[in-house]
Amino acid sequence: MTLVLLVPAFLFVAAAIVLVGPDRTRHARAKIAAYPVGIACLGAVGTLYQVASSGPIEIRSYNLSSVASFAIPIGFHVDRLSAIMMTLITSVSVVIYNYSVGYMFQDRHARRYLAMICLTDFVLICMVSSSNLMMLFLFWQILSYLLYVLAHNHGHPGTLAGAFKTFTLLRVADTAFLAGIALAYQLYGTLEFQELFVRAAQTPIALSLWPGMEVSGATAITLLFFVGAMGKSAQFPIHLWLPGSLFAPTPVHALLHAGIINAGGFLINRLAPLFGLSSTTLHVAFVIGTLTAILGATMMLAQNDIKKTLGFSTIGQMGYMIMECGLGAFSLAVFHLVAHGLFKATVFLNCGNVIHKARQEPHFPHVDHQVDEEELSRLTWFTGFITTLFIPLLILLVTHGVLRIPLLESQGTVIFLFFIWITSSQAILTLTRLRQVASWKVSSVMLITLLFIVFVYLFAVESFTAFLYPDPEEVASYFKAAALPDWLFDLMIVMATLLTVLGWSYLYLRAHGRTIWMPAWIDGVRIRLYVLFMNRLYADEIYQKLGVILLRILDRFDKSAQGWSR
Amino acid sequence: MKGGALITSVLAGLPLLGALTSLLFWSNPARLKLSSVVWSAVSLGSIAGLSGQFVIPPEGLLPLYLLPLTAIISLLGQPPHADHRLSWITTLAFLGLGLCVLTNQPPVSSLASMLLFSAVALLLYRHHSVLWPMSWWGIGTYVLGALCATLSLAANAPLSSVALLVGSAVLLPLMPFHDGHLTALTRLPGNLPSFIVLLLPIIGLHGLATVLPTVPDVVAWIVSLFALAGAFYGAIKALAQTRVRLLLAYGSLSFFSMLWWFAAATRTATPRSALLVGTVGLATSGLLIAWQVVRTRYGDDIDPQAVSGLASGMPQYAVLLSLLALAAMGLPPFGVFAGFMGLLLSAPFPSSGGLVITLLAWLAASWYIMQMVQRLLFGLRRPELRYTDVLRTELAALLIVVLVLLALGLAPATLFAPDQTMSATHSIMGRSYGIGNDN
Repeated sequence: MTLVLLVPAFLFVAAAIVLVGPDRTRHARAKIAAYPVGIACLGAVGTLYQVASSGPIEIRSYNLSSVASFAIPIGFHVDRLSAIMMTLITSVSVVIYNYSVGYMFQDRHARRYLAMICLTDFVLICMVSSSNLMMLFLFWQILSYLLYVLAHNHGHPGTLAGAFKTFTLLRVADTAFLAGIALAYQLYGTLEFQELFVRAAQTPIALSLWPGMEVSGATAITLLFFVGAMGKSAQFPIHLWLPGSLFAPTPVHALLHAGIINAGGFLINRLAPLFGLSSTTLHVAFVIGTLTAILGATMMLAQNDIKKTLGFSTIGQMGYMIMECGLGAFSLAVFHLVAHGLFKATVFLNCGNVIHKARQEPHFPHVDHQVDEEELSRLTWFTGFITTLFIPLLILLVTHGVLRIPLLESQGTVIFLFFIWITSSQAILTLTRLRQVASWKVSSVMLITLLFIVFVYLFAVESFTAFLYPDPEEVASYFKAAALPDWLFDLMIVMATLLTVLGWSYLYLRAHGRTIWMPAWIDGVRIRLYVLFMNRLYADEIYQKLGVILLRILDRFDKSAQGWSR
Repeated sequence: MKGGALITSVLAGLPLLGALTSLLFWSNPARLKLSSVVWSAVSLGSIAGLSGQFVIPPEGLLPLYLLPLTAIISLLGQPPHADHRLSWITTLAFLGLGLCVLTNQPPVSSLASMLLFSAVALLLYRHHSVLWPMSWWGIGTYVLGALCATLSLAANAPLSSVALLVGSAVLLPLMPFHDGHLTALTRLPGNLPSFIVLLLPIIGLHGLATVLPTVPDVVAWIVSLFALAGAFYGAIKALAQTRVRLLLAYGSLSFFSMLWWFAAATRTATPRSALLVGTVGLATSGLLIAWQVVRTRYGDDIDPQAVSGLASGMPQYAVLLSLLALAAMGLPPFGVFAGFMGLLLSAPFPSSGGLVITLLAWLAASWYIMQMVQRLLFGLRRPELRYTDVLRTELAALLIVVLVLLALGLAPATLFAPDQTMSATHSIMGRSYGIGNDN
């Protein structure tokens, strides 16, 4: 039990070691603090093992019956979800902290920065292991402020503007979260997770927003919580803070994109039984997630700076993750955020090297322009056929026959398989470009690798789902709650498939110098869209304009209402 | 009974005696300040020592502890100077009158209120400058308060109740009686604004606790409308301010109006209400002291944008101001958040629209306070400015405020008085929604 408490405690100790002491020992202390960070990571792994073998750990410093008499009831509830998040956060932190010690060497504010990194980890760990909504909100709020402080270089106007935007936008989402907490307590009389889930399931409450319009209590609460999650997970249209914070030091991004941004996904997963009671909220999450995934990925393609590209990639991935939640695939969302966190931390920590190399070598990254082939060979067509048609069929058969997943009853699984097909095929197409020069050997190796990845992924996800939610009925109930009308679902799948295959064909033919007839207006629209997405939909400018208008109105109001006391 | 009267007389009399004896050091400002701090500390000690021997007010003991504590920090935050002597003596006198109101019953408490109103009005009449000209509206509001205090004493119900309610609205600012609050915070001399911002609202809350259960429903409904308007108006006005003292005055008006809304809904003022009023007052007091630090160095009413980069030149000040700002904007784990959440969780919302307005006002605080802090602390360091970090007394004052706000944010609400509201709320919810009492 105490092992759990040691995880945040060691991170706090690390922060204290960095912060307290004479300036001449600054660097030595920074190095020493790496040990408690490492021990915290080992503690998290131990906690994961303990939770997996002996069940959830509960530590409370308050009496459950008098929870509201405490301003902040401090308690820990560490289940498998918390333990996984703790392991992810601490393992990423070990790498980031050690990287930061070297990266910030000789920086004037390195001490403050490193202490803040440790403190952020501490806050994250406390947040994911909270036993009630109030404690979770406490650390959620502190995290919002830490993101402001972590911008680090407060003398730089761009950084400062980004940090302020981050803080204020996150506060908007936090306010919705707070309203959700207040409403949850008013309706169900508890902020304890387990009790809240039981009471919400047992006591259906209808709230009347205005005459003739009623929503269920669970829907109202989860919608408010969802807005809170949207903020931290940078969902459209509250995503602007993430690209705005890109002036911060690189390790901050690694931590942000690998740990902090997952808070939204964590919140939805933590409250999954509550979200499972509201189909409306899950559908809203699906729409917002899809929109964010599409816009984030599109804007990523049009950026010309590595940090912005990665930033928008994260937004797209977070959209994808929220979309998975909206489909009721909560465990997949967690799997996704763990995988994405590890991947994005690596990429961010390496992006400095890429920039450095690009400055030294004018031809880096290498331009992969071979002599274009005139004809498409049989091999090319054959590989394309197998990748796009045969493999999906194989996946479906194996899923249906071997893993015995009822595909027709579960839209979430169908969509999951659909995305496996799209992403893996896209990866293979991008890697090989299906060049006709590719030999049988290369094509075979790539296809086998693809199959291997797909099935390992499928197996891993299935195992992970069973680990996180051991009760299959619970998983099924989430999928059921998130189910869309059949016609809409089929239409979406067909449309997405058609668009994807058409897109691939178009890109492939263009890459090989084929002329494709296209009406002139489409080309015009394409260019305009490119400019629009390159400028990130002018969302920053729109927000700025709105801010200016608002301030002008406030100023006018202030002038008209002054006189008495001024 | 006689013993109780003696004890309350001692509690109120000690600071008044301190004011008289401190006059002996009139020619030596440093000693005068020290004497004022010591007498305030003695007052705090007397409250702690005698707390079990007098009737606890309905809003609990917290206000009684906070009054001398705020007097101490407001005195500590002021540099010794001959110009501030009057404000130090007045602080002790106001502390005595405040304790008299809180620990006594009418007519003594009403007389003390009347004296307090009159003294503030007189000070406002005497103290104004080119930067802060005379405000007849503000003075008039306190004169109205004094009249209300007299009327509450002389008239019968329901007129006395209405008078007490209006008097409370002047002290604990509620639109349209908020001008006194704005004027007092901007024009009173020396350390008085940083003391008054807690003293008057606390006394107003005390009056509210007495009068709210007796007012008719329609009056409570009107009060809640004014409260919501005040919360919104205060936030809007604070967003538009560039002058720090006005910004803080409007910001605190917004938060106090939230309390009015909750109080009008529950028709009572509980220790949770005292927690919100006390912590909002204390946080604003801390910010006023922090602003006093800047004023001492760079002149009165300076534009915050003209002073930037304090974070690198005055690191201790920067850390304390940041923490105070977090507390003042209602972020956890500080007391303002605890008070706000305590009311959110204990009172059933009278309307969802009201809750939205309250939350918007809460959200707006993070905009205007953060902007003010950012302008002061961050940005480029100015080579033409000399940066001197906080002095020992300033450090002590700001540190005490931060620590007390933190302690109040973490302490259980029942520490200063048992709160019956929670169990009442539980039973109400249990009846309304059929929730079993199985927790």
